[in-house]
Amino acid sequence: MDSWLRFSAQSQAKERLVRAAQYACTLLGYTLQKGGAAAELRRTVSQLEAHMSLTRKLLRLGNSVEALEAAKRAIHLSDSVLRLCLTVSHLNRAMYFACDNVLWAGKTGLISKLDQQKWSQRSFRYYLFALILNLTRDVYELRLLMECEARYRATKAPPSPYPSTTLPNNSPTAALPVMSVRLRKQLHLFVTVLFSNPPLLLDLLKNSCDIFIPLDRLGIYPTGTGFVGACGLASSVLSILTMVHPWLKLKP
Amino acid sequence: MDTVVKFTSQTQGKVHVFRATQFACALSTHVLKSNPDRRDLVAKLQDVEANMNAGRKLFRLGNTINSIEAANRSMQLSDRVLCLCLTAANVSRALYSLCDNVLWASSVGLIRDINKECWSLQSSRYYLLSLIMNLTRDFYVVLQLIMQRARDKHFRQKMSQHVSESPEVAEVVIPQLDALLFLLFESLKSHPSVALDTLKNICDLFGPLNKLGIYQTNAGVVACCGLISSMVGILTFAKPNLNINT
Repeated sequence: MDSWLRFSAQSQAKERLVRAAQYACTLLGYTLQKGGAAAELRRTVSQLEAHMSLTRKLLRLGNSVEALEAAKRAIHLSDSVLRLCLTVSHLNRAMYFACDNVLWAGKTGLISKLDQQKWSQRSFRYYLFALILNLTRDVYELRLLMECEARYRATKAPPSPYPSTTLPNNSPTAALPVMSVRLRKQLHLFVTVLFSNPPLLLDLLKNSCDIFIPLDRLGIYPTGTGFVGACGLASSVLSILTMVHPWLKLKP
Repeated sequence: MDTVVKFTSQTQGKVHVFRATQFACALSTHVLKSNPDRRDLVAKLQDVEANMNAGRKLFRLGNTINSIEAANRSMQLSDRVLCLCLTAANVSRALYSLCDNVLWASSVGLIRDINKECWSLQSSRYYLLSLIMNLTRDFYVVLQLIMQRARDKHFRQKMSQHVSESPEVAEVVIPQLDALLFLLFESLKSHPSVALDTLKNICDLFGPLNKLGIYQTNAGVVACCGLISSMVGILTFAKPNLNINT
Protein backbone atom coordinates (compact mmCIF):
# COMPACT_ATOMS: atom_id res chain seq x y z
CA MET A 1 0.00 0.00 0.00
CA ASP A 2 2.78 2.38 0.97
CA SER A 3 4.73 1.73 -2.23
CA TRP A 4 1.56 2.39 -4.26
CA LEU A 5 1.12 5.78 -2.54
CA ARG A 6 4.73 6.69 -3.26
CA PHE A 7 4.38 5.48 -6.85
CA SER A 8 1.11 7.26 -7.63
CA ALA A 9 2.40 10.52 -6.15
CA GLN A 10 4.69 10.91 -9.19
CA SER A 11 2.95 12.28 -12.27
CA GLN A 12 5.29 10.31 -14.57
CA ALA A 13 4.26 7.08 -12.86
CA LYS A 14 0.59 7.69 -13.56
CA GLU A 15 1.44 8.70 -17.12
CA ARG A 16 3.25 5.38 -17.55
CA LEU A 17 0.26 3.46 -16.21
CA VAL A 18 -2.03 5.27 -18.65
CA ARG A 19 0.47 4.52 -21.45
CA ALA A 20 0.47 0.83 -20.54
CA ALA A 21 -3.34 0.84 -20.56
CA GLN A 22 -3.36 2.65 -23.92
CA TYR A 23 -1.09 0.11 -25.62
CA ALA A 24 -2.96 -2.74 -23.94
CA CYS A 25 -6.08 -1.35 -25.64
CA THR A 26 -4.20 -1.17 -28.96
CA LEU A 27 -3.18 -4.82 -28.60
CA LEU A 28 -6.64 -5.84 -27.44
CA GLY A 29 -8.23 -3.98 -30.37
CA TYR A 30 -5.98 -5.84 -32.80
CA THR A 31 -6.76 -9.20 -31.13
CA LEU A 32 -10.50 -8.51 -31.24
CA GLN A 33 -10.28 -7.51 -34.88
CA LYS A 34 -8.43 -10.73 -35.72
CA GLY A 35 -10.88 -12.78 -33.68
CA GLY A 36 -13.84 -11.14 -35.40
CA ALA A 37 -15.39 -9.74 -32.22
CA ALA A 38 -18.49 -7.55 -32.14
CA ALA A 39 -18.10 -4.12 -33.73
CA GLU A 40 -19.49 -2.42 -30.63
CA LEU A 41 -16.84 -3.95 -28.37
CA ARG A 42 -14.12 -2.96 -30.82
CA ARG A 43 -15.49 0.58 -30.89
CA THR A 44 -15.46 0.76 -27.07
CA VAL A 45 -11.81 -0.37 -26.93
CA SER A 46 -10.87 2.09 -29.68
CA GLN A 47 -12.70 4.90 -27.86
CA LEU A 48 -10.92 4.03 -24.61
CA GLU A 49 -7.55 4.04 -26.39
CA ALA A 50 -8.25 7.48 -27.90
CA HIS A 51 -9.29 8.77 -24.47
CA MET A 52 -6.07 7.46 -22.90
CA SER A 53 -4.00 9.02 -25.68
CA LEU A 54 -5.62 12.43 -25.26
CA THR A 55 -5.26 12.29 -21.47
CA ARG A 56 -1.57 11.43 -21.82
CA LYS A 57 -1.15 14.44 -24.10
CA LEU A 58 -2.73 16.56 -21.37
CA LEU A 59 -0.46 15.07 -18.69
CA ARG A 60 2.61 15.82 -20.79
CA LEU A 61 1.87 19.55 -21.11
CA GLY A 62 4.75 20.68 -18.89
CA ASN A 63 7.26 18.07 -20.01
CA SER A 64 9.13 20.27 -22.51
CA VAL A 65 10.49 22.27 -19.57
CA GLU A 66 11.63 19.06 -17.85
CA ALA A 67 13.35 17.83 -21.03
CA LEU A 68 15.17 21.17 -21.42
CA GLU A 69 16.27 21.01 -17.79
CA ALA A 70 17.59 17.48 -18.38
CA ALA A 71 19.47 18.72 -21.47
CA LYS A 72 21.03 21.49 -19.39
CA ARG A 73 22.19 18.91 -16.86
CA ALA A 74 23.55 16.58 -19.56
CA ILE A 75 25.76 19.35 -21.01
CA HIS A 76 27.98 19.14 -17.92
CA LEU A 77 28.82 15.42 -18.30
CA SER A 78 32.54 14.68 -18.59
CA ASP A 79 32.23 11.88 -21.19
CA SER A 80 31.93 13.59 -24.59
CA VAL A 81 29.95 10.76 -26.25
CA LEU A 82 27.44 10.59 -23.40
CA ARG A 83 27.24 14.38 -23.33
CA LEU A 84 26.45 14.56 -27.05
CA CYS A 85 23.97 11.68 -27.05
CA LEU A 86 22.05 12.72 -23.95
CA THR A 87 21.95 16.46 -24.65
CA VAL A 88 20.71 16.03 -28.22
CA SER A 89 18.30 13.28 -27.10
CA HIS A 90 16.76 15.54 -24.45
CA LEU A 91 16.49 18.42 -26.91
CA ASN A 92 14.67 16.13 -29.33
CA ARG A 93 12.40 15.00 -26.54
CA ALA A 94 11.63 18.65 -25.75
CA MET A 95 10.72 19.23 -29.41
CA TYR A 96 8.62 16.06 -29.43
CA PHE A 97 6.71 17.25 -26.36
CA ALA A 98 6.23 20.69 -27.91
CA CYS A 99 4.73 19.10 -31.05
CA ASP A 100 2.61 16.90 -28.80
CA ASN A 101 1.30 20.00 -27.01
CA VAL A 102 0.34 21.55 -30.35
CA LEU A 103 -1.43 18.30 -31.26
CA TRP A 104 -3.30 18.37 -27.94
CA ALA A 105 -4.41 21.94 -28.66
CA GLY A 106 -5.59 20.81 -32.09
CA LYS A 107 -7.46 17.80 -30.74
CA THR A 108 -9.26 19.82 -28.06
CA GLY A 109 -10.25 22.45 -30.61
CA LEU A 110 -8.04 25.28 -29.36
CA ILE A 111 -6.30 25.42 -32.74
CA SER A 112 -9.03 24.74 -35.25
CA LYS A 113 -7.18 24.74 -38.59
CA LEU A 114 -4.33 22.45 -37.60
CA ASP A 115 -2.90 19.85 -39.96
CA GLN A 116 -2.87 17.08 -37.35
CA GLN A 117 -1.27 14.54 -39.70
CA LYS A 118 1.69 16.83 -40.41
CA TRP A 119 2.23 17.66 -36.74
CA SER A 120 1.91 14.00 -35.76
CA GLN A 121 4.58 13.04 -38.31
CA ARG A 122 6.83 15.86 -37.07
CA SER A 123 6.33 14.72 -33.47
CA PHE A 124 7.23 11.11 -34.33
CA ARG A 125 10.33 12.25 -36.22
CA TYR A 126 11.68 13.94 -33.10
CA TYR A 127 10.69 10.92 -31.00
CA LEU A 128 12.52 8.57 -33.38
CA PHE A 129 15.67 10.68 -33.33
CA ALA A 130 15.59 10.81 -29.51
CA LEU A 131 15.28 7.01 -29.39
CA ILE A 132 18.13 6.50 -31.89
CA LEU A 133 20.36 8.65 -29.70
CA ASN A 134 19.29 6.76 -26.58
CA LEU A 135 20.10 3.47 -28.30
CA THR A 136 23.47 4.87 -29.41
CA ARG A 137 24.17 5.74 -25.80
CA ASP A 138 23.17 2.20 -24.70
CA VAL A 139 25.44 0.60 -27.31
CA TYR A 140 28.30 2.91 -26.27
CA GLU A 141 27.86 2.01 -22.59
CA LEU A 142 27.69 -1.66 -23.56
CA ARG A 143 30.92 -1.41 -25.57
CA LEU A 144 32.71 0.28 -22.67
CA LEU A 145 31.57 -2.40 -20.23
CA MET A 146 32.52 -5.19 -22.64
CA GLU A 147 36.01 -3.73 -23.08
CA CYS A 148 36.35 -3.43 -19.32
CA GLU A 149 35.20 -7.04 -18.81
CA ALA A 150 37.53 -8.30 -21.58
CA ARG A 151 40.49 -6.54 -19.94
CA TYR A 152 39.56 -8.01 -16.57
CA ARG A 153 39.38 -11.52 -18.08
CA ALA A 154 42.70 -11.06 -19.88
CA THR A 155 44.46 -10.20 -16.62
CA LYS A 156 42.83 -13.14 -14.83
CA ALA A 157 43.28 -15.81 -17.53
CA PRO A 158 46.72 -17.54 -17.84
CA PRO A 159 48.60 -17.33 -21.19
CA SER A 160 47.94 -20.15 -23.70
CA PRO A 161 50.23 -23.16 -23.07
CA TYR A 162 50.22 -24.14 -26.75
CA PRO A 163 51.30 -21.15 -28.82
CA SER A 164 52.12 -23.40 -31.80
CA THR A 165 48.48 -24.46 -32.16
CA THR A 166 47.37 -20.99 -33.23
CA LEU A 167 46.24 -21.17 -36.82
CA PRO A 168 47.93 -19.18 -39.56
CA ASN A 169 45.98 -16.15 -40.76
CA ASN A 170 46.61 -16.64 -44.47
CA SER A 171 44.34 -19.71 -44.76
CA PRO A 172 40.67 -18.64 -45.16
CA THR A 173 39.27 -22.08 -44.28
CA ALA A 174 41.43 -22.29 -41.20
CA ALA A 175 40.32 -18.82 -40.12
CA LEU A 176 36.64 -19.86 -39.92
CA PRO A 177 36.85 -21.83 -36.64
CA VAL A 178 38.85 -18.98 -35.11
CA MET A 179 36.16 -16.50 -36.18
CA SER A 180 33.50 -18.79 -34.75
CA VAL A 181 35.32 -19.07 -31.41
CA ARG A 182 35.90 -15.31 -31.31
CA LEU A 183 32.25 -14.64 -32.12
CA ARG A 184 31.12 -17.08 -29.43
CA LYS A 185 33.45 -15.38 -26.95
CA GLN A 186 32.07 -11.96 -27.88
CA LEU A 187 28.52 -13.23 -27.57
CA HIS A 188 29.26 -14.74 -24.17
CA LEU A 189 30.86 -11.48 -23.10
CA PHE A 190 27.84 -9.53 -24.38
CA VAL A 191 25.38 -11.72 -22.43
CA THR A 192 27.52 -11.64 -19.27
CA VAL A 193 27.83 -7.84 -19.35
CA LEU A 194 24.10 -7.34 -19.97
CA PHE A 195 23.00 -9.69 -17.23
CA SER A 196 25.42 -8.19 -14.74
CA ASN A 197 24.03 -4.71 -15.54
CA PRO A 198 20.21 -4.88 -15.28
CA PRO A 199 19.73 -1.08 -15.70
CA LEU A 200 21.50 -1.17 -19.07
CA LEU A 201 19.64 -4.32 -20.15
CA LEU A 202 16.26 -2.79 -19.27
CA ASP A 203 17.06 0.51 -20.99
CA LEU A 204 18.23 -1.30 -24.11
CA LEU A 205 15.09 -3.46 -24.16
CA LYS A 206 12.84 -0.45 -23.52
CA ASN A 207 14.37 1.65 -26.30
CA SER A 208 14.37 -1.31 -28.69
CA CYS A 209 10.66 -1.82 -28.06
CA ASP A 210 9.90 1.89 -28.33
CA ILE A 211 11.68 2.36 -31.65
CA PHE A 212 9.13 0.24 -33.52
CA ILE A 213 6.36 2.74 -32.69
CA PRO A 214 7.72 5.75 -34.64
CA LEU A 215 9.15 3.46 -37.33
CA ASP A 216 5.65 2.11 -37.94
CA ARG A 217 3.88 5.49 -37.72
CA LEU A 218 6.34 7.14 -40.10
CA GLY A 219 6.04 4.24 -42.55
CA ILE A 220 9.80 3.53 -42.44
CA TYR A 221 9.30 -0.01 -41.19
CA PRO A 222 5.58 -0.88 -40.96
CA THR A 223 4.91 -3.69 -38.51
CA GLY A 224 1.18 -3.44 -37.79
CA THR A 225 -1.04 -2.45 -34.89
CA GLY A 226 -0.63 -5.67 -32.94
CA PHE A 227 3.15 -5.54 -32.88
CA VAL A 228 3.17 -1.81 -32.04
CA GLY A 229 0.71 -2.49 -29.20
CA ALA A 230 2.84 -5.32 -27.83
CA CYS A 231 6.04 -3.26 -28.03
CA GLY A 232 4.39 -0.25 -26.40
CA LEU A 233 2.99 -2.39 -23.61
CA ALA A 234 6.34 -4.13 -22.99
CA SER A 235 8.15 -0.77 -22.95
CA SER A 236 5.61 0.72 -20.52
CA VAL A 237 5.88 -2.25 -18.16
CA LEU A 238 9.70 -1.93 -18.19
CA SER A 239 9.38 1.79 -17.54
CA ILE A 240 7.04 1.17 -14.59
CA LEU A 241 9.54 -1.37 -13.27
CA THR A 242 12.34 1.23 -13.29
CA MET A 243 10.09 3.58 -11.33
CA VAL A 244 9.12 1.01 -8.73
CA HIS A 245 12.78 0.01 -8.32
CA PRO A 246 14.87 3.17 -8.90
CA TRP A 247 18.14 1.19 -8.85
CA LEU A 248 17.07 -0.31 -12.20
CA LYS A 249 17.12 3.13 -13.82
CA LEU A 250 20.14 3.80 -16.02
CA LYS A 251 22.19 6.76 -14.81
CA PRO A 252 23.06 9.44 -15.83
CA MET B 1 12.65 26.65 -13.44
CA ASP B 2 13.65 24.08 -10.84
CA THR B 3 10.51 24.80 -8.81
CA VAL B 4 8.31 24.27 -11.88
CA VAL B 5 9.98 20.92 -12.63
CA LYS B 6 9.61 19.79 -9.00
CA PHE B 7 5.99 20.97 -8.92
CA THR B 8 4.90 19.32 -12.18
CA SER B 9 6.71 16.08 -11.41
CA GLN B 10 4.19 15.38 -8.66
CA THR B 11 0.70 14.12 -9.46
CA GLN B 12 -1.11 16.50 -7.13
CA GLY B 13 0.72 19.50 -8.55
CA LYS B 14 -0.51 18.78 -12.06
CA VAL B 15 -4.03 17.94 -10.84
CA HIS B 16 -4.30 21.33 -9.10
CA VAL B 17 -3.18 23.12 -12.28
CA PHE B 18 -5.72 21.19 -14.39
CA ARG B 19 -8.46 21.94 -11.87
CA ALA B 20 -7.62 25.65 -11.90
CA THR B 21 -7.64 25.63 -15.71
CA GLN B 22 -10.99 23.82 -15.76
CA PHE B 23 -12.64 26.36 -13.46
CA ALA B 24 -10.98 29.28 -15.28
CA CYS B 25 -12.53 27.98 -18.52
CA ALA B 26 -15.92 27.55 -16.82
CA LEU B 27 -15.76 31.11 -15.46
CA SER B 28 -14.71 32.55 -18.83
CA THR B 29 -17.53 30.62 -20.52
CA HIS B 30 -20.05 32.04 -18.04
CA VAL B 31 -18.78 35.60 -18.58
CA LEU B 32 -18.63 35.39 -22.39
CA LYS B 33 -21.81 33.32 -22.86
CA SER B 34 -24.05 36.36 -23.35
CA ASN B 35 -21.75 37.84 -26.01
CA PRO B 36 -22.82 36.54 -29.46
CA ASP B 37 -19.52 37.62 -31.08
CA ARG B 38 -17.58 35.26 -28.83
CA ARG B 39 -19.54 32.10 -29.64
CA ASP B 40 -16.50 30.46 -31.24
CA LEU B 41 -14.28 31.21 -28.24
CA VAL B 42 -16.94 29.92 -25.83
CA ALA B 43 -17.11 26.63 -27.77
CA LYS B 44 -13.32 26.27 -27.55
CA LEU B 45 -13.31 27.01 -23.83
CA GLN B 46 -16.05 24.44 -23.26
CA ASP B 47 -14.01 21.85 -25.17
CA VAL B 48 -10.93 22.56 -23.04
CA GLU B 49 -13.03 22.41 -19.86
CA ALA B 50 -14.49 19.03 -20.87
CA ASN B 51 -11.02 17.75 -21.74
CA MET B 52 -9.59 18.87 -18.39
CA ASN B 53 -12.51 17.28 -16.55
CA ALA B 54 -12.08 13.96 -18.38
CA GLY B 55 -8.33 14.03 -17.79
CA ARG B 56 -8.76 14.71 -14.09
CA LYS B 57 -11.27 11.86 -13.78
CA LEU B 58 -8.78 9.43 -15.31
CA PHE B 59 -5.98 10.83 -13.17
CA ARG B 60 -8.04 10.26 -10.02
CA LEU B 61 -8.52 6.53 -10.67
CA GLY B 62 -6.24 5.39 -7.85
CA ASN B 63 -7.36 7.99 -5.31
CA THR B 64 -9.74 5.67 -3.43
CA ILE B 65 -6.72 3.75 -2.11
CA ASN B 66 -5.03 7.01 -1.09
CA SER B 67 -8.14 8.11 0.83
CA ILE B 68 -8.50 4.75 2.59
CA GLU B 69 -4.83 4.93 3.58
CA ALA B 70 -5.35 8.49 4.89
CA ALA B 71 -8.38 7.27 6.89
CA ASN B 72 -6.23 4.50 8.37
CA ARG B 73 -3.65 7.07 9.46
CA SER B 74 -6.19 9.52 10.90
CA MET B 75 -7.71 6.75 13.04
CA GLN B 76 -4.52 6.73 15.10
CA LEU B 77 -4.88 10.39 16.14
CA SER B 78 -5.08 11.01 19.89
CA ASP B 79 -7.54 13.92 19.65
CA ARG B 80 -11.06 12.42 19.49
CA VAL B 81 -12.64 15.26 17.50
CA LEU B 82 -9.82 15.35 14.93
CA CYS B 83 -9.88 11.56 14.71
CA LEU B 84 -13.62 11.50 14.01
CA CYS B 85 -13.64 14.43 11.56
CA LEU B 86 -10.64 13.36 9.51
CA THR B 87 -11.55 9.67 9.38
CA ALA B 88 -15.11 10.49 8.27
CA ALA B 89 -13.79 13.02 5.74
CA ASN B 90 -11.34 10.52 4.26
CA VAL B 91 -13.90 7.70 4.09
CA SER B 92 -16.35 10.08 2.37
CA ARG B 93 -13.60 11.09 -0.05
CA ALA B 94 -12.89 7.43 -0.81
CA LEU B 95 -16.57 6.84 -1.60
CA TYR B 96 -16.68 10.02 -3.69
CA SER B 97 -13.64 8.81 -5.67
CA LEU B 98 -15.31 5.45 -6.17
CA CYS B 99 -18.46 7.07 -7.60
CA ASP B 100 -16.23 9.24 -9.77
CA ASN B 101 -14.49 6.14 -11.13
CA VAL B 102 -17.85 4.57 -12.02
CA LEU B 103 -18.85 7.79 -13.80
CA TRP B 104 -15.54 7.80 -15.71
CA ALA B 105 -15.99 4.16 -16.75
CA SER B 106 -19.49 5.03 -17.93
CA SER B 107 -18.29 8.06 -19.92
CA VAL B 108 -15.74 5.98 -21.86
CA GLY B 109 -18.28 3.22 -22.49
CA LEU B 110 -16.82 0.56 -20.19
CA ILE B 111 -20.00 0.41 -18.11
CA ARG B 112 -23.41 0.68 -19.73
CA ASP B 113 -26.97 0.92 -18.40
CA ILE B 114 -26.22 2.98 -15.30
CA ASN B 115 -28.12 6.01 -14.11
CA LYS B 116 -25.44 8.68 -14.57
CA GLU B 117 -27.51 11.37 -12.85
CA CYS B 118 -28.04 9.17 -9.80
CA TRP B 119 -24.34 8.32 -9.53
CA SER B 120 -23.38 11.96 -10.04
CA LEU B 121 -25.69 13.07 -7.22
CA GLN B 122 -24.36 10.31 -4.97
CA SER B 123 -20.81 11.43 -5.74
CA SER B 124 -21.73 15.04 -4.85
CA ARG B 125 -23.32 13.87 -1.60
CA TYR B 126 -20.13 12.13 -0.50
CA TYR B 127 -18.06 15.14 -1.57
CA LEU B 128 -20.31 17.47 0.43
CA LEU B 129 -20.07 15.26 3.51
CA SER B 130 -16.28 15.19 3.17
CA LEU B 131 -16.17 19.01 2.95
CA ILE B 132 -18.49 19.42 5.95
CA MET B 133 -16.23 17.17 8.02
CA ASN B 134 -13.16 19.12 6.89
CA LEU B 135 -14.84 22.40 7.80
CA THR B 136 -15.82 21.00 11.20
CA ARG B 137 -12.16 20.16 11.74
CA ASP B 138 -11.16 23.69 10.67
CA PHE B 139 -13.63 25.32 13.07
CA TYR B 140 -12.46 23.03 15.86
CA VAL B 141 -8.82 24.01 15.24
CA VAL B 142 -9.79 27.72 15.08
CA LEU B 143 -11.70 27.37 18.37
CA GLN B 144 -8.66 25.76 19.99
CA LEU B 145 -6.45 28.60 18.74
CA ILE B 146 -8.88 31.23 20.08
CA MET B 147 -9.02 29.55 23.50
CA GLN B 148 -5.24 29.30 23.54
CA ARG B 149 -4.95 33.00 22.72
CA ALA B 150 -7.58 34.02 25.28
CA ARG B 151 -5.53 32.36 28.03
CA ASP B 152 -2.38 34.23 27.01
CA LYS B 153 -1.70 37.25 29.30
CA HIS B 154 0.24 39.26 26.73
CA PHE B 155 -2.51 38.83 24.22
CA ARG B 156 -5.22 39.88 26.70
CA GLN B 157 -3.34 43.14 27.26
CA LYS B 158 -3.06 43.65 23.50
CA MET B 159 -6.81 43.01 23.12
CA SER B 160 -7.88 45.45 25.84
CA GLN B 161 -5.55 48.02 24.28
CA HIS B 162 -7.22 47.47 20.90
CA VAL B 163 -10.72 47.97 22.39
CA SER B 164 -9.73 51.11 24.35
CA GLU B 165 -7.85 52.56 21.35
CA SER B 166 -11.05 52.97 19.33
CA PRO B 167 -13.88 54.04 21.67
CA GLU B 168 -16.07 55.37 18.83
CA VAL B 169 -16.01 51.91 17.23
CA ALA B 170 -16.60 50.26 20.57
CA GLU B 171 -19.78 52.29 21.01
CA VAL B 172 -21.22 51.05 17.75
CA VAL B 173 -20.01 47.47 17.95
CA ILE B 174 -20.66 45.26 20.93
CA PRO B 175 -17.31 45.18 22.79
CA GLN B 176 -17.48 41.39 23.29
CA LEU B 177 -18.08 40.85 19.58
CA ASP B 178 -15.25 43.21 18.69
CA ALA B 179 -12.94 41.36 21.06
CA LEU B 180 -14.00 38.01 19.60
CA LEU B 181 -13.43 39.19 16.02
CA PHE B 182 -10.04 40.61 17.00
CA LEU B 183 -9.19 37.29 18.63
CA LEU B 184 -10.31 35.36 15.55
CA PHE B 185 -8.42 37.63 13.17
CA GLU B 186 -5.20 37.46 15.19
CA SER B 187 -5.44 33.66 15.55
CA LEU B 188 -5.88 33.18 11.80
CA LYS B 189 -3.14 35.70 11.02
CA SER B 190 -0.66 33.74 13.10
CA HIS B 191 -1.80 30.43 11.54
CA PRO B 192 -2.22 31.06 7.78
CA SER B 193 -2.45 27.32 7.06
CA VAL B 194 -5.73 27.09 9.00
CA ALA B 195 -7.07 30.25 7.33
CA LEU B 196 -6.23 28.94 3.85
CA ASP B 197 -7.72 25.51 4.50
CA THR B 198 -10.94 27.08 5.80
CA LEU B 199 -11.14 29.39 2.77
CA LYS B 200 -10.49 26.47 0.41
CA ASN B 201 -13.18 24.28 1.98
CA ILE B 202 -15.75 27.12 2.05
CA CYS B 203 -15.10 27.81 -1.64
CA ASP B 204 -15.37 24.12 -2.50
CA LEU B 205 -18.68 23.87 -0.67
CA PHE B 206 -20.57 25.88 -3.32
CA GLY B 207 -20.07 23.19 -5.99
CA PRO B 208 -21.94 20.28 -4.36
CA LEU B 209 -24.47 22.62 -2.69
CA ASN B 210 -25.43 23.96 -6.11
CA LYS B 211 -25.46 20.52 -7.75
CA LEU B 212 -27.63 18.98 -5.04
CA GLY B 213 -30.00 21.96 -5.13
CA ILE B 214 -29.49 22.72 -1.43
CA TYR B 215 -28.21 26.23 -2.05
CA GLN B 216 -28.45 27.19 -5.69
CA THR B 217 -26.15 29.84 -7.09
CA ASN B 218 -25.03 29.87 -10.73
CA ALA B 219 -22.23 28.47 -12.88
CA GLY B 220 -20.24 31.70 -12.51
CA VAL B 221 -20.19 31.62 -8.71
CA VAL B 222 -19.33 27.90 -8.65
CA ALA B 223 -16.51 28.43 -11.18
CA CYS B 224 -15.16 31.47 -9.33
CA CYS B 225 -15.15 29.61 -6.01
CA GLY B 226 -13.57 26.58 -7.67
CA LEU B 227 -10.85 28.77 -9.16
CA ILE B 228 -10.09 30.41 -5.78
CA SER B 229 -10.00 26.97 -4.14
CA SER B 230 -7.63 25.65 -6.83
CA MET B 231 -5.33 28.65 -6.44
CA VAL B 232 -5.21 28.06 -2.69
CA GLY B 233 -4.52 24.38 -3.43
CA ILE B 234 -1.60 25.30 -5.71
CA LEU B 235 -0.26 27.73 -3.09
CA THR B 236 -0.37 25.19 -0.26
CA PHE B 237 1.20 22.56 -2.51
CA ALA B 238 4.01 24.87 -3.67
CA LYS B 239 4.69 26.05 -0.10
CA PRO B 240 4.25 23.02 2.20
CA ASN B 241 4.48 25.20 5.34
CA LEU B 242 1.08 26.65 4.34
CA ASN B 243 -0.47 23.19 4.27
CA ILE B 244 -2.52 22.31 7.35
CA ASN B 245 -0.97 19.42 9.29
CA THR B 246 -2.90 16.27 10.36
